[in-house]
Amino acid sequence: MSDFLLTQIINYGAPVLGMIVFIGALGAPFPGTLLIVAAGAFARQGLLAWHTTALIALAFVVLGDNLSYGMGHFAREAVLRRFQDSQNWIKAESSFTRWGGMAVFWTRFLITGIAVPVNLIAGTSGFGIRRFFLYDLAGEAIWIFGYGGLGYLFGMQWEVVSEFLGNISGLALGLVLVGTGVWLGVRQWRIVAARNANVPEA
Amino acid sequence: MSPKVQRILVLGLVTAGILLAVFFGMRAAFAFREVRRHGPPPLSPFEAKNNQPAETDVELIREWMTIPYIARMYRVPPEILFEALSLPRSKAIGEKSLKQLNDEYFPQAEGFVMTTVKAAILEFQAQTLSAPTPPAPPTVIPAP
Repeated sequence: MSDFLLTQIINYGAPVLGMIVFIGALGAPFPGTLLIVAAGAFARQGLLAWHTTALIALAFVVLGDNLSYGMGHFAREAVLRRFQDSQNWIKAESSFTRWGGMAVFWTRFLITGIAVPVNLIAGTSGFGIRRFFLYDLAGEAIWIFGYGGLGYLFGMQWEVVSEFLGNISGLALGLVLVGTGVWLGVRQWRIVAARNANVPEA
Repeated sequence: MSPKVQRILVLGLVTAGILLAVFFGMRAAFAFREVRRHGPPPLSPFEAKNNQPAETDVELIREWMTIPYIARMYRVPPEILFEALSLPRSKAIGEKSLKQLNDEYFPQAEGFVMTTVKAAILEFQAQTLSAPTPPAPPTVIPAP
């Protein structure tokens, strides 16, 4: 898949890259980070104009993210019909309103594997579109300019950088899962401890 | 959610997270060593001025690359590469990757296109390097 996409980018340039990151933002499993790093290298080689390519990619990926946010937003009523009385849903919604900005920001460039689910959850949970747009734009700008910049810096050796970044993303996802598990475990343990403390001794 | 399900969820999350972190952490460490070993190549004055690299290492050629792209990267006239493969120079062929060219035109010989392109570039580079440098034009001293 990545080989085919790389060939299309060197043949047709920035518009193809824009379309790929757009479709990727809607959930297609494209190797976005690899292509952005490669595009940076192609810019160094004079094949792509770095400013136009970066702006097109940024515009398309933000559009795709906002569209997937929109999908979540339009699914909100159906989700609310099913879960609006659930305490877990209410808690999750309030947690996302509080921490959602950071989730949107970090999943744009570091934990990219869960970016689309975060978009959908943001839309469904009623996270404000303006806040979503701003965090999304900031995160995607780091993805495009930061990762593309590394590709530019390393030129023909961009594959090494891309591999490193891909693995860092997997490592970050693993750490987030461990962190979430530990947090849930500690919370559960506290609830049980509090319940046991309230039980009168026989 | 019952406490039992919660315990399974917590255990599952932590286990999956540790497995992912160890797997990708080790791969990231190896990749980082590679990044440090390579380091970013310096931007040559030629490259900085013309935005054109002068790549010489043919081992960096990959199957997804096209003939015009390779010709541009290695500053080899594309005709030389098309001739080496005995293929006509056309836009359609120029848009095909090395792998596609191999599959379509040389299906019996695996890796033929890659090997031929590398050999043609090395030969061109050897010829270019061994070609005598033209003498510098004489300095014209303006008449007083």
